[in-house]
Parts: sequence; structure tokens; C-alpha cells
Amino acid sequence: MTSLQPTAPTRLIDPAVLARIGDLELAARVVVEGVINGLHRSPHLGSSMDFAEHRAYMPGDDIRRIDWKLFARSDRHFVKEFEADTNTNFTVLVDCSPSMQYGGSVEGAGTLSKLDYARYLAACLTYLASTQRDRVGLVTFDSEIRDYVPPSAKHLNVVLHTLDRLVASADSAAPNGTRAGPPALAALTQRIGESFRRRSMVLLISDFYEEPRAVVDALAYLRGKGNDLMVFHVLDRRELEFPFTDSANFVDLETGERMPVIPDYLRAQYRALVAEHVASLSRVLGENHVDYAMFDTSQPLDHALFRFLSGREGMRQSRFRSARV
Amino acid sequence: MSFLAPLFFAGLAALSVPLIIHLINRERREVVHFPSLMFLQRIPYRSVRRQKLRHILLLTLRCLALAIVALAFTRPFVRRQASARAGGAGARELVVLIDRSYSIGAADRWTRAQSAARRAVSGLGPTDRATIVAFDNQATAVTPPTQDAATLNAAIGALRPGSEATRYAPPLKLASQILAGSNLPRREVVLISDFQRLGWSVRDEISFPSGTTITNVDVAGGDTSVADAAVADVTVQRNEGVRDRATIAARLTNTGAAPLANVDATLELNGRVAETKRVVIPARGATQVRFAPIAIPSGTSAGLVRFAVTPPVGRANQLAADDRYYFTIAPDAGVSVLVVEPSASRSNQSLYLTRALAIGDRPSFRVDVRKVGGLAPADLEGRSLVIFDEVAPPAGDGGAPLRDFVSGGGGVLLVAGDQLPASAWGGEWSAALPGAIGSVVDRTGDAGGTLAWIDYDHPVFDVFNAPRSGDFATARFLRYRRLTVNTDSGPRRAAGVADTASGAHVLARFDDGTPALVEHRVGRGKVLVWASTLDAYWNDLALQPVFLPFVHQLAKYAGRYSGARASFTAGEVLDLSRHGELVASGQRTGPVVVEAPSGAKTRLSSSNEGLVPLHEQGFYEIRPDGAGRGMGQRLAVNLDPAEANLARIDPEELRASVLAGAGNGFAGAVSVDAPTREDTERRQTIWWYLLALAGVLFATETLMSNRLSRRTG
Repeated sequence: MTSLQPTAPTRLIDPAVLARIGDLELAARVVVEGVINGLHRSPHLGSSMDFAEHRAYMPGDDIRRIDWKLFARSDRHFVKEFEADTNTNFTVLVDCSPSMQYGGSVEGAGTLSKLDYARYLAACLTYLASTQRDRVGLVTFDSEIRDYVPPSAKHLNVVLHTLDRLVASADSAAPNGTRAGPPALAALTQRIGESFRRRSMVLLISDFYEEPRAVVDALAYLRGKGNDLMVFHVLDRRELEFPFTDSANFVDLETGERMPVIPDYLRAQYRALVAEHVASLSRVLGENHVDYAMFDTSQPLDHALFRFLSGREGMRQSRFRSARV
Repeated sequence: MSFLAPLFFAGLAALSVPLIIHLINRERREVVHFPSLMFLQRIPYRSVRRQKLRHILLLTLRCLALAIVALAFTRPFVRRQASARAGGAGARELVVLIDRSYSIGAADRWTRAQSAARRAVSGLGPTDRATIVAFDNQATAVTPPTQDAATLNAAIGALRPGSEATRYAPPLKLASQILAGSNLPRREVVLISDFQRLGWSVRDEISFPSGTTITNVDVAGGDTSVADAAVADVTVQRNEGVRDRATIAARLTNTGAAPLANVDATLELNGRVAETKRVVIPARGATQVRFAPIAIPSGTSAGLVRFAVTPPVGRANQLAADDRYYFTIAPDAGVSVLVVEPSASRSNQSLYLTRALAIGDRPSFRVDVRKVGGLAPADLEGRSLVIFDEVAPPAGDGGAPLRDFVSGGGGVLLVAGDQLPASAWGGEWSAALPGAIGSVVDRTGDAGGTLAWIDYDHPVFDVFNAPRSGDFATARFLRYRRLTVNTDSGPRRAAGVADTASGAHVLARFDDGTPALVEHRVGRGKVLVWASTLDAYWNDLALQPVFLPFVHQLAKYAGRYSGARASFTAGEVLDLSRHGELVASGQRTGPVVVEAPSGAKTRLSSSNEGLVPLHEQGFYEIRPDGAGRGMGQRLAVNLDPAEANLARIDPEELRASVLAGAGNGFAGAVSVDAPTREDTERRQTIWWYLLALAGVLFATETLMSNRLSRRTG
């Protein structure tokens, strides 16, 4: 196991720099190999072949896994099981609803939109998973599933290409010419869960303009099927701080609804509501053993990933130890 | 303060716009796309401040600017009182000049004119006086200076548009006289007209007493259209050698900018349609309609050329009255001339004279030659002129018919010549002669004399007045008789003064000052004496080109031939003494009645003299008093074709002209206002200042709102 190495702030990569790297795979490699390397055990050291336990041979088990030495000592057939003897499925669920466009493409160049940020997050973790020989898959959705890449060890490029195309498809209207609208998470997660043949590691990236309880309910199906769930909550700084000054008509990117707003009068209440929403999401998802992280798109991507993965590693080990005890 | 378009006050509803902006839409200036309104919608959206008016000054500026814009569109103007215009204080002498020429009848101009006159009268103060003067070609004060508004209004109401043309000089001069005779301190003239350009001549000198105010009221308003079609003229061309056939041609004019198609021109004779032709009148041009030759009935016939446009063209033909042209036509009566020769005349003595009179058809001369011995009273019947060619008239009782002939209007031309004894015209005829016929003047020694002085203003010679119209100087007179005029009026005549005592006028003189042609009126007739001969015996005048027109003019004048005029122009005055052909031959004397087209009758004590103003368009009839209608002679009166020219003179130009006239010693303080609402508003242009003020307010509002936006941002 490789110890975790804190990353020097100077090596952090600004989101704007990432935005200038056109190749998504290259960007992911820069982030993963240049910054996050060492957070996970390297697949090349064979740590994933660590012995976990013996199990009595059952008809149908691969006879190549029979521990012949133990058979020689005990004259009984046992099968050796290792902690990571099989690669897991890693599927990223990316919300590409209109609200995720908020940021660079809507409000001007120089910043990443939430969708771009989500793309980089997905690409980085997919690349990271692929280097660990996990099967990687991708699901993009808005009000319905738009792209589905089934998990496979050979699907890294497919996933990256799909993520690359995601910008264009997210910028345009829905195929039927109508606005995509907010995602119906519950229905989507059920459909996605039904497509999983084995337990997977599922990463859901969204801005979660849903009630926290509805999010938990939506994830309950996936959670109930034994999937390991991670939730990335991506928000723009302006969504967090509401820095607007001029009175204006605010248009909902999801629904097109208009609302006259005097920001000066609403700012404080808005900030409080958003903070409460984030805290509530974090709380209820944690209670349901779902890893939650909130990402501010103005913050460096690698730094955020580092904070999340290091925290998750610690949590995973503690969970694993508690499970073995 | 009055308003030309008060309906634009509805624009004040626009004041609600800034209110709405302030109360409701102020926050909706920009659009911000936001991921979700989920949290915003949870916030109670009731702000007390939203319902308050923010930036009261800004709102006031916007409302004020919009209100001013609306006010500008209503085209406000200030109607100043007449007293204020006149300036000064004290009683006022007002003369209202109201145009009643026939062009004022177009559209609603007459109604406007009457209204303007009533407005002018309504402004009279208790000590003011006013006079109503109606004018067209002439000016008439229809009321004396009075303070009685009822009298003035009644006079205005009784006025009607006439048939005459417009002239501004007569009414302005009359007004000047009225004002000059007034002792009131303030003097004002209100000129109500459509301001036709042809009505004013810069040669008209008008001067007003000092301090006079002239107010022009343009009843044409903003109507600058001059489109009108008219029958400008009708000519009667008699067919060569046929007395009772003629070809009628009419000239139709169009002053409009568009051609008039489908114009049906109709010729009527004695109320019956003779022919109708369809023509096109070009834009700003004229066309001639030539009707087929017609037979002229005996007597005087009433003719009419009229036209109609199908369909009616409305404003392209503003005046309807000039669409008709009246005329009279009669078979050519000619001039009947009797030439009396001596019993032993020279060979071909009257040849040149008779040959010259035989040529020409306008008029035709019917010439009979008689020897003096065979002259009978019956020979004078129907004659217009008797020429005694070197022969003495019958003396004693035998001369009585001739004397009656002359006093009744006949003409006598006495050719002195060689054979006439000096005493032949003595006795009872001496009073008829302009003077004594003396001895023969022989100029053979100096190659003959010439005509050195000719009265070209006289009808006999006026056709020769223009350059290259005939040269008498080339004629050589070897001999002539010395005429001694009883009271030689030559120099006085030359000075423009007629010798009314003797009635003798020297019309031409030889180069030695001897009279060559002398006229003497006897009763209604004329006696003219020619001092030489009318053949080539004593002079070569008969061989000169001027001989023929000279003889024609002499015969027409002496024979009282004025030519039956086809028509007169409204505004003319008919002088019966010069139009004897208009009186029936059997009624040479005695009272006559002149009946106008409207039925108005004028009685004259004698058909020999009298002046009849012709005011109305149509046919007048002159008949013996007591005779029935249709028994007299008709004469046609038409509108002045100049009045169909609706080109306008700028009231400012007229004012300048009057000012120039006033400069001749009277320094008239003349000011021009426009009492009509449109003109007043156009002159004041208050709307322009209001719009400029609104622009300033809008600019201020923009600056202020930008500053406030930055402050609140």
C-alpha cells in the first residue's frame, strides 16, 4: 500500500488551464499521474492479489483457484479468495441537464461550466479506475438517459469520447427540440441499476437541484443492490454566493421560468438556503453511506479530487476493517 | 391657448408608461440565466419598497417630457385678441375687406371668409367702428362706419360671391380713404381673401395713414392647389363668303398638374345642343375644341360652350363657374357705305375707295355709289356711312334726311379734294362742319407734303400705333385743301384735352400744320373731313399699303361699327352709346330695360346712352321698356379668365408691396397676422419649442437614470 502524499499547492492545476487542454485523456492523465498518483495502490505492484480468505470448494468453482498446498495438508478442497482478485465496475453518472451548462458557456469564457467541471471529474476518475484495471462505464442523462457506455475494461476511450461529445450535446436542446428539464433521478437510477449485472462503484455528478430526501430516495435502489455510491455535487461560485447586483429577470435554465429578482434583497436568504441544502445533502447521504463531496467549479480540480479521494480512502479502510472485525 | 389637434391629448395616456416602469417593470431590465430558481422561489417575494415610487425626480422628468410631447402634437397656439394686435389704446376704426370674387366660391372658402369677417367684427369694442367693404374687381362699402354689430353681421350675411375677378388695389384704396377720414386713434384693416396673385400689381400704389395695422386672413388656408379647368375663350370664325355660317372653337385650359381625360365639351346654340366632343386637356396646358361649322340663325343667337369631366375630378377642377362660356352670334350685318360722287367725276374717282372697301369680311362693307344728282332719302336707309367724295350735300329741305341721319348716329365723311367749292358746305351745314374748307395748298414745289402728326390714340389710327403697323410718312400729298378748324383744338387735343365746346378734333396734320383729318360730332353721329383726295389724284396715299386699313378704320369709325362682341367680361361697364348694335334698330331712342341673368332689371331713360355694369355671368337682355322677355338683344357676359388662375400671392409679399406704397409719405406701420387657426399655429410653431424642451428633458432623464443606475449598482 502506498502512503498518501500531500500535494503541494503550486502543483495544483487551475480549471482554466484544464479547459485549455483540448484532449480530455491528456487532461485526465495530467491530473491523475501528475497529482493524484499514490493515493491508490498501484496495480503494477500486485497488491490487488493479497489473500483474503479460504472458502470451501463448491461445484462450479474454478479448480485453478484450489489451494493445493492446503489440500495436501488437510486433504480438503479450499478455494483461495483474494481481496481484489476481480476488477470492479466503475460507472460515472453525469448530469447534463441545462442547469449544468451554467458557467463558462453561459456567462462568458475564462471559467469552466459545471458540466465541463463534471466532465473533467468523470474523466479523471475514469482514467484512474482504468489504470487500476477496473471496468469503466458512463451514463449521461438529463430528463432521460442520453448516453450509456456499459462498463468494460476496454471502454476508457469510449467513455472519454462520450464525455468529449457531451459538451455539444449538452449545449443543444433536447433531440425533440424541447428543453431537457430537470432530471427525474428516481426513475433514472432505477433504470441504470437494472442495467448493472454486478455490483459497481457508481459516481453520480450533478448539481442536485432536488430535495435532499428525494436524492436519497433516488439512490436507494442503487444502494440496495450493493453498489458503492459516490456523489459529487458541482456548483458554480455564483450559485453559492449569489453576487448579482442589478435587478433583473432571472430565467431558470431548466424550466425557462422567469422571475424578477432584486439580488440585494434576496442574497442573504439565498445563501442561507443553499448552505442549508448542501449541508442537508451531505448529512442525509452520509447517513445512507453515500460518499458526498461538494465541488466549487472555481476551485482547482486536482485539489478537490485529492481532498475527496484521501478522505474516501481513509473511510474505505475504516469500513473495511470494521467489516473484517 | 387653443389647440389645432386636441385629440392628441389622448397621448397623455403615455404618462402611465413611466409609472408602470417605476412600479412594476423597473426590475425587469436585464435577463440573467440561472441554473434554477428553486431557492429563489422559496424566498417570500414581497418587498414594500417595490411598491413605492423610487426616484421621484426621475419619474417627474419622464412624465413631464411625455406630457410635453403630447402637448406638442396637439399643435397649440395662442390666439391673441384683436385689440392686442392693434397695439396702443383707444377706439379703433376697423375696415373689413372681404373678397367676393368668383374664385372665393371654391370649396369652403366663402364660408371661411364670412366666418373670418364675423370674427373680426366680434372683436369690436364699445367705442370701435367698423366698415364692411366687399370687393372683387371693384370695391364697395356695403356698410357705413358703424358700431352696430348687428348691422355689420347682417351685411356680411347678405354678401355672396360674385362673378368678377380679384383686384386688391380698389379695396385697399377705399380702406385707406375710410381710415384717413377717421378721427379714431387706432386704425386697422382686415383683408380677407384667397390671395390670388393676379389680383395684385406692384404698380398699385397704396398708402395708409400712419399706425394702420393690416391683418391678412388667408381663407385658402393650407390649400395651395391651383388646379382648375376652364373654358378660356370662344372664337367665332365666319366661313369665307358665307354670312350665316361659322365655325365655333373653344379653348379649354387646365392649370392642374394632372391631365384631364374624358372631357366632354358641348356647344349649345339657343339652348339646343349642337355638338359634343370628347377631348383631353393636358396638364398645365390648353387644348382647342373645334366644333363643326354651324348655320347661324337670323337675329342674335345665344351660344354656350360648356364641358364636364367624367367622372368628376373634384379638386382638379376647383371652380365650376368657369366651365361655361357664354357668347352671342349673329349673321354678319357688315357696314353699309354710300359713296356720293359729283355728277362730273373724274375717271375712277372712287375706284380706290370702293375697291378698298370691297376687300375684307370683318366686317364686310356693302358699298353703293351714287351720283349726287340721283341721291334720294331712301338711299340713306340702313346706311352706316355716307361718303361725299368731293361733292356738296343736298341743301335746303333736301338735306333734312341727311341731317337726321347724322344726328341719329350716322356717319358722314367729306372728302374735300379738288372739286368741292369752298362754299358748298355753308348755310345749314356750317354748324355740322368742324371748320371752313379753304383754298388749295399746292406742295408740288417741294415734292409734296407728308402727314407729320397723327393722333394714334384715336380709334381711326390706334391700329397703326404699334411699331411696324403701318407708315403714313411715305405718302406724298401734292395738294390739299386748307382746313380752318373753328376752334382749333389740335394742340389741346395733343395735350390730351378735348375741345368739348365745338366737338372738333384734329386727327392728323400735314407737315405744315394744316389739318389733314378733322372729326366733328353732330348729335350721335360724326362728320369727318379729309383735306385731300382718296384717289391718286392729289396724293399717292391710295398707293401705299396703309391705305386699305386706313379706309377700313375710317369707315368703321365713322359708320359706328364696333363689331358685335361675342361676349363681355364680368366687371365691364356697358356703354350703350358705343354699342348701338345692342339696341334694336326700331328702338334707337326711348327707355330700355337691361335685365341681368339673375332677373335684376335696370331701366335706362334712353337707349342712346347709359352705363350698365355687368356683374353677372350669363346672358343680359336689352329690350325696350315694356317689351316682353326675349324681345330684345342679348349680350353674353363671362368670367374673367384671369380669375381661373389660382396662383397665390404670399400675404407677406402683399404686405411688403403695401409697405413699399406706404413708404410714399405715409409710413404705414403694417403688420400681418393670420387669424385662421392653422395659419396662427403655423406662424407661432409652439410645437417646435415644446419638442425641443421635451428633447432636453429626455436627455436629462437619460443622464440622471444612468447616474442612478450606477449608484444603485
